[in-house]
Amino acid sequence: MSWLRPRRLWRPAPLERHYEFVIIGGGIHGLATAYYLARTHGIESVAVLESHYIGFGGSGRNTAIVRANQRTVENVRLYEEGLKLWPVLTDELDFNLMFFNCGTLNLGHSEAAMNGIRMLASTHNLVGVKSEVLDPQQCAEVIPGLDLSDRPAFPIHGGLYHPPGGIVRHDAVVWGLAKGASARGVHIHQGCEVQGIDTSDGRVTGVRTSLGSIGCDRLGIMAGGYGSAVAAMLGIELPIHPLTIQAMVTHPFKPFLHTAFSSGAYHVYANQTLKGEIATGAHMDPQVNYTNDATAYYLKHQAEALVELMPALRGVRFMRIWSGLADMTPDMAPIMEGELGYEGLYLDAGWGYFGFKSGPVAGKYMAQYMASGERPEILAPFRLGRFLENRYSGETAAVMKYGHWD
Amino acid sequence: MSRLRPGETCRVDFSRPLEFSFLGREMTGYAGDTVASALYGAGVRIFGRSLKYHRPRGLYSMEGESANTFMSIDGVPNECAETTELRAGMAIEPQNVRGDPGRDRFGFLDAFDRLMPAGFYYHLFHRPYALWPLFQSGLRRMAGTGVLDPGAEYRNGVRTERYLNADVAVIGGGPAGMAAALAAGESGLRVCLFERRGRLGGQMTWRVRDFEGEPLYRRAGALAARVRAAENVNVFTRSPVTGVWGENLVTGFAVGTEDDPFRECHWECRATTVVVAAGCMDRPLVFNHNDRPGVMQVGTAWRLARTYGVRPGKSVAFSVADDLGLEAAIDLDDMGVRIRFIADARESGQQGPEVFDALCDRAIPFFPGCAVSRAVGRKRVRGCVLRSLKGGRSRRFRCDLLVANAGMQPRIGILATAKARLAYCTHTHGYQPTELPPGVFVAGSMTGLRDPRSIEASGRVAGYGVAEWCGGRLKSVAGARAPAREAEALPGPGAGCGIIHAPAIGRGAKAFVDLDEDGTYKNVKESIARGLDVPELAKRFAGFGLGPGQYRVAGQNLAMIMADLRGDPVETAHPTTVRPPLGAPSLATLAGPGHDVHKRTPLHSELAGRGAVFRRAGAWQRARHFGDDPSCRDEIRNVRTNVGVLDSSPLGKFRIHGPDALNALQRVYMSDMSKARPGRCKYSAMCNDMGQLMDDGVVVAEGPGDYYFTTSSARAGDTVEWFRFHTRHDDWDYNLVNLTDVLGSLNIAGPNARRVLERLTRDNVSNQAFPYLACRRITVGDGVEARCLRLGFVGELSFELHAPASYVPYLWDLVMEAGADFGIRPFGLEAQNCLRAEKGHVIIGMESEQRVTLTDIGMGWMWDREDTVSKKVGAPALRACDRQPGRLNLVGLRVEEGAKAPRDGTLVVDGDKIVGYVCTTRSSDTLGWQYGLALVHREHAFPGRRIHLCHEEAPGQRVTSTAFVMSPHFYDPRGERLRS
Repeated sequence: MSWLRPRRLWRPAPLERHYEFVIIGGGIHGLATAYYLARTHGIESVAVLESHYIGFGGSGRNTAIVRANQRTVENVRLYEEGLKLWPVLTDELDFNLMFFNCGTLNLGHSEAAMNGIRMLASTHNLVGVKSEVLDPQQCAEVIPGLDLSDRPAFPIHGGLYHPPGGIVRHDAVVWGLAKGASARGVHIHQGCEVQGIDTSDGRVTGVRTSLGSIGCDRLGIMAGGYGSAVAAMLGIELPIHPLTIQAMVTHPFKPFLHTAFSSGAYHVYANQTLKGEIATGAHMDPQVNYTNDATAYYLKHQAEALVELMPALRGVRFMRIWSGLADMTPDMAPIMEGELGYEGLYLDAGWGYFGFKSGPVAGKYMAQYMASGERPEILAPFRLGRFLENRYSGETAAVMKYGHWD
Repeated sequence: MSRLRPGETCRVDFSRPLEFSFLGREMTGYAGDTVASALYGAGVRIFGRSLKYHRPRGLYSMEGESANTFMSIDGVPNECAETTELRAGMAIEPQNVRGDPGRDRFGFLDAFDRLMPAGFYYHLFHRPYALWPLFQSGLRRMAGTGVLDPGAEYRNGVRTERYLNADVAVIGGGPAGMAAALAAGESGLRVCLFERRGRLGGQMTWRVRDFEGEPLYRRAGALAARVRAAENVNVFTRSPVTGVWGENLVTGFAVGTEDDPFRECHWECRATTVVVAAGCMDRPLVFNHNDRPGVMQVGTAWRLARTYGVRPGKSVAFSVADDLGLEAAIDLDDMGVRIRFIADARESGQQGPEVFDALCDRAIPFFPGCAVSRAVGRKRVRGCVLRSLKGGRSRRFRCDLLVANAGMQPRIGILATAKARLAYCTHTHGYQPTELPPGVFVAGSMTGLRDPRSIEASGRVAGYGVAEWCGGRLKSVAGARAPAREAEALPGPGAGCGIIHAPAIGRGAKAFVDLDEDGTYKNVKESIARGLDVPELAKRFAGFGLGPGQYRVAGQNLAMIMADLRGDPVETAHPTTVRPPLGAPSLATLAGPGHDVHKRTPLHSELAGRGAVFRRAGAWQRARHFGDDPSCRDEIRNVRTNVGVLDSSPLGKFRIHGPDALNALQRVYMSDMSKARPGRCKYSAMCNDMGQLMDDGVVVAEGPGDYYFTTSSARAGDTVEWFRFHTRHDDWDYNLVNLTDVLGSLNIAGPNARRVLERLTRDNVSNQAFPYLACRRITVGDGVEARCLRLGFVGELSFELHAPASYVPYLWDLVMEAGADFGIRPFGLEAQNCLRAEKGHVIIGMESEQRVTLTDIGMGWMWDREDTVSKKVGAPALRACDRQPGRLNLVGLRVEEGAKAPRDGTLVVDGDKIVGYVCTTRSSDTLGWQYGLALVHREHAFPGRRIHLCHEEAPGQRVTSTAFVMSPHFYDPRGERLRS
């Protein structure tokens, strides 16, 4: 009957002068890392510093789609483990994260897109992750109401159906992890803005915050869209472009969309939340910025795309639009690194718009990395050094350009 | 049910009855009714059921502030009855209920609220986990409201778009907005005035109070007439604003009129300045059972009577907190509605003695310092309980309508989307802007003004302020000072009421802070107890303000209640962020008429006439193939053995000239471009800073410092910016002109290409005079001069003619005529794709990707490694990873016979390891076997290596094959045919 006894999900904690581990960023990545540091590695002195309230950033602004249908095996393995963690965490945290295993469907709108989709399906099935290439009719069986005619500017050629995917209640993940971390002794400090990082003899020694200085032995930068700005406090330049990415919801409806779908050609992805709204996300704004501003352009763009894909959506209305930051790397794969020139400094950044689906699994391995000092094998592909070697991860085929030419 | 006859304020035309149906029952409304007023007028009191507890809900608000009256109208779900105009024949059904909302089978849920505290679902249903999907599907079915049929068509009326431009956008057509529009218009500014309702005047349109010798509605009417007549003022009624965005972009939509209800228009107005005069709305009073049908806002009851001529109730109790509420009660009494009592949450501060006199005259009991603490009655209000705010005994009254509010609150939505900084004002007890963005002005009752003269004056002040801000054009800026002086002499913002909630709240009854999501006062407490103690977190945890009404019902109250419960001063309360769009535009309206923006080549109709099947390729519609064979075997054979013609017009075509043209070319191209010569095509490629292939094409020198060059079709649009960006620090003098759309082109390819060309021109096109890679200007037909480039992308003798786009159809006719004897036929993109793949020519994006550099795909030969002065884009990266192990390389494949055919996208595997993939593979009639172009790890990329291919497009359906690695130049590897 615990649900009838409202108890604090996480306890307020006194700000101590020194913690063994300090995590910058009270989003899913930071909280998950803190949780696993305490849970798996038995570390008792961990603080999470959040400048606003926990889940303020991308953790509470994404469209909550989770999946493991990436392009390269290295990524698929990581995200697959991430997918399997949702039920485990739900049980461990005793907090219902509302994982809705509805599957995802990526639509292909050209022969080239279908070639890419075939490669994805083969890659997934080869490593044991279920995916299936669908023809247009099969797509319409998964998503009733898709327009299969030649009328749309980009007619549907087929799709990639990925049954293991789904949606998760994003705020619940933040609160559940905070609950679990707090119960294991992690101190969560909200309204604590990091203003500087102290080092001495090539070691990280602490952080200066709006609430005072805090000493630490190991420091994790897990600040989502603000990761590169925090790293810059130490003069570390990261190949990250923070871009706003917008999302919106419609009025709520009884369930009619039973699978999350996306379309690269239209730059749109959508799912129906458990509450019945259609939550839909757009492409990123092209300008590098930290504003979290929504724009009228995307509201219209999204409507144009959705009604072409599914004409019945002409009957729905948008209720709310918001935006968050996506920390884009040139190869759309993250940077998880412990060799940044300062002993005790760890970085988990550059997740772009994949930060939500990867949160718990990234936290699990970042905790292992930070606790042991040894890079876990599964994180090897996500070294920062790959950019220096001009060895891109291949997570996206297209040559990326963000804002300006590079 | 009888209607009132309210006179001139009424917008309903009782001479025009409209028949409609509710739940299949025939009802009558009148022209000018909204769906909500018609239903209420026809006696409907329960409009639907609430989301979580399935409590009966009635007409509460008038502008969609709550979702109480969301209905299915003519099959369209989630239509707001309050803002939808009634039309004859409408079929209206309630939502989230089966059958009559008066008898709902889920009504029992209301009794189980104790089991459903805020966020209860986070603590339930997950153990054992196996049962979760079952609960989840139940939760999904219970959630949501309207029913959408994914196969149905909705809102198929005309959709248009307007893009406006104004010096000032005035938002709100009330007295302040109208005064602002007039003042700005008189100053010579171009004004757009946007009003959500069908007519101007705001709340003045239903107020009959005498003011300076005439009723307020007439005063507003006179002002409206002046606005309509004003030269520079464009009035847009029925036009809700959805938001003010960056740089004062104002967006909204215009809803259809009665005559043309389905016509909706999406509009955007780029305004130099914005005047926000959005007015006020009721701040809901939070008390026990404040959601019962029969509890409504002051504005709702008043407008029902005055605007729609609907008797709101027979015996009405008022619990208000400002003078407007008193005025409404007195006015209703004058219309013959019995007022049981008026409670005013304020102890004092009411308007002068005339209000008290008016109450005495009418013998209406008046209770200052009191508020209604409870509504009595389950399915509709039958009475209420009144309490003093200071405690003490309660009194019970019978009534059938309970009109309640906690005073008025400013409509902050538009200001919030404009990113004004807002703070709680302890005088007006509403959120007031403390900092306005550049060019944004605010006026009217939303600033707390109550006196009609002050409201109008504030509009004039804003109007002249705008004129001053816009600068220059104003004839008499000095005149702008006068309204400010005038406004100062008038009464300022009135004192508001800071009541947070009614007394005796809770105590086993539900007091709703948010109606749409069934968020109660108790839920606020529960959120705080969980540690989710600021409005932003409570909103996410318990859903406050997440329903269709958004911030309108919960916004200010939630912030005040949370501050109160935490023991903080109320002025520290921050409401949740207001998100656009404010007026809930439909996707149909936002999407507009749906333009498919694409380019057609100059030969589009010629190709269509020959049976072309078009596909979108970037911005273009291009012929994929001709006829009904998607594999294009005949098209391919015809090029290999005879002659074909391709419409290559989308090819990027540029001229660069000027003293630094060569420098610029050296910067972006990988080859030594100083070797580009007149009359000869130099093939080269561009890379990005990572050495990834961006583009390829040929460059021809046409004179000193004058070059013509081509790019791939996909890159044509980006090329000018690419040059400019990569030479931005050099201050170079060159002109770069994009000729892509100006010039069309067609490619004559095949062993008989020269024989066709010879018939078109008298110029010498023999192999000696016009060798491979030559470029000449030739005269074709009746004197059309064309650039002719002898290239070989498809691996055959071929001539590409570039000529002004308008001449290209003529050239096409000539070519088809001249080639008729040879059996010339057009070929499309797919044939070209196969032909070039057989030749081993790369298409960017098909055989190149992020992981591979120019050298990785075997094109490193063109890179001028010795050049260290041009700073070639990508050269440092190429140098850095020149001999790096583990990279992907481009190879050719010969698929072993008898194996199951691989497809584009098939993987190259080594055991269970993926070591590459097949980019393009076809079974070739020309070669007699299946070839492929693949990117594979360097360790496997040597000729003769046997590799394994595998694809598994569905779980368990694995297809494997084997292939031998070879040079990708399968066809004519020595290039003899190109040079023949």
